[in-house]
Amino acid sequence: MSGVLKGNYKAKKDVKAETKADDLESRFERQAMKRLGGSIAFVAKRKVNWDKKKD
Amino acid sequence: MAKVLFINPIVREEDVPRHVPYGIALIAAITIKKGHQVQIYDHNAWRQPPEVVREVLEADDWDVVALGGITTTYGSIKSLVTQIRAVRPKTTIVLGGGVLTSLPREMMTWLPAVDIGVVGEAFQTFPDILEMFDSGQKDFVKIPGTISRRMDGGLVMGPPRTLLRDLDSLPYPAWELFPLEEVYFHNSEHLFSVEGMLAKRRLDINMSYGCSLICRFCYHLGIAGDLRYAKNDAGEDDVEFDKPGSYSRDIRYHSPEYVVKLVKYAHGRFGVDFIGFLDENLMTMDVYSGRTWLKEICRLWKEYGLQPSHLRDGTALTEHWSGVHWSGTSHATLCTLEILREMRSAGCAALVYGYESFSPQVMKRLGKGATPTTNIRSFFWSLEAGVRPIPNMIIGFPSDDFDSIRASLDAWKELGIIVRPHFATPYPGSEWFHVYRKSIEAQYKGDLEKFILDLGDATKITGVISHNFNAVELLGLRELMLKFDYARIDEYEALWRAHHRIPEGAPSTLYQDPVPLKLAS
Repeated sequence: MSGVLKGNYKAKKDVKAETKADDLESRFERQAMKRLGGSIAFVAKRKVNWDKKKD
Repeated sequence: MAKVLFINPIVREEDVPRHVPYGIALIAAITIKKGHQVQIYDHNAWRQPPEVVREVLEADDWDVVALGGITTTYGSIKSLVTQIRAVRPKTTIVLGGGVLTSLPREMMTWLPAVDIGVVGEAFQTFPDILEMFDSGQKDFVKIPGTISRRMDGGLVMGPPRTLLRDLDSLPYPAWELFPLEEVYFHNSEHLFSVEGMLAKRRLDINMSYGCSLICRFCYHLGIAGDLRYAKNDAGEDDVEFDKPGSYSRDIRYHSPEYVVKLVKYAHGRFGVDFIGFLDENLMTMDVYSGRTWLKEICRLWKEYGLQPSHLRDGTALTEHWSGVHWSGTSHATLCTLEILREMRSAGCAALVYGYESFSPQVMKRLGKGATPTTNIRSFFWSLEAGVRPIPNMIIGFPSDDFDSIRASLDAWKELGIIVRPHFATPYPGSEWFHVYRKSIEAQYKGDLEKFILDLGDATKITGVISHNFNAVELLGLRELMLKFDYARIDEYEALWRAHHRIPEGAPSTLYQDPVPLKLAS
């Protein structure tokens, strides 16, 4: 976790966030996107409603 | 003194964040120097969800939230300013950069949450806004380079802002306020050269502003002398940029000492091993200086101990070197073999050339001052000097036709160029945006904002300005070009000619110049 605010003084509150480098899902999607085509296809999980029930 | 939050909006969401925003880093440094309290949230680097952005907005009592970027950040800016206004109803929101400058009235209309727009260069305008804010006044119209709102909701523009003459008076960018270790240095790789691929700690620098050329697809962000004030059709104050027969330019560049000392500082403080020069065109500056500028930068690069060790020692490049490699932009006609050799010796790894096309008629109409001959000459000069040329290519220019496509293909084949060409895109602020605005609006059913939201880095198709090809044809032709599929291109040309009823022997084009073009033999 890192502070996302950087400045020349201390803000009243710190705001922390995970760096994207830790996000394996994003890393996978980025790498897969580079080779999209042919037999390379993938599901972008964030664009899918995984909780949707079957009709 | 004001408490200011700078937010860097997302650009190229499909890619990782690669570039510290140079403009915001400079404005932040200026703001700090003036004594204000500054925090930066780099949304492009962190890409956090709205909940975290909300936390950022609630982290302090911001007097001013300032955002800016190039036109393609518009989607992110739109979503950010809406959230800022919802969370902080009384905070003053200031928007600047190329996105605002190209269409100030439209942006202020589409983004009602924005209080003040900075038109053109913000180096002096933004501190003036903060000074007025501190004085408790809100008569922003008195500040040159602003667009703001009257009490009745109407928009009002301040007088034009003159450009900063002494660029060396600028402080160094506040790089330390961006997530270099957390984000940017992880994405240092710069795939224009082997040296760039090996970069582990890259930063970017802009050592000049402007370009003397008048490429009709180019927009100079209002900081190249290209910005002028004029009345619009409704009789209101507005901006205008290049238009046919009307061009203005102001060439400015940092001294070689400033540039090399800044690189030395970046190398010493952040361990930088690669610098990407963001300049529009290094060669136009070099010519303007009487061919002294780049030569002196290269000399000082060595004098300050920045020359990569393998070049200094005359050994092969390995994964381990000391010093700083760099890359930048060149120009096919304005470069010389001598300066390319000097640049290589100082560590230049790659130069981007906007070759755009290898068709004489297309190049003549671009206003670039280059020809297929100078394209090829610069290509071999660069290779001879040891600098990797990066040939930028575009299809879909207004007069592009089957012959121009084949001319580019022939050159790619001969020169070994492997490229996925961009599509000619009429970015706001460019001459071709001015010329084709009505056609672009028609393609987006009269909704210009939709076009702005659609804009990317020209790798995808948006507003089409080709007279000969529609979007589907351009997409198909690009695919065939990638495969050097001359046969299918020829086959489609026959169909196209029949469809457009072009008689035997007549050229395969629908394009007509307003004034017939004279091509050199």
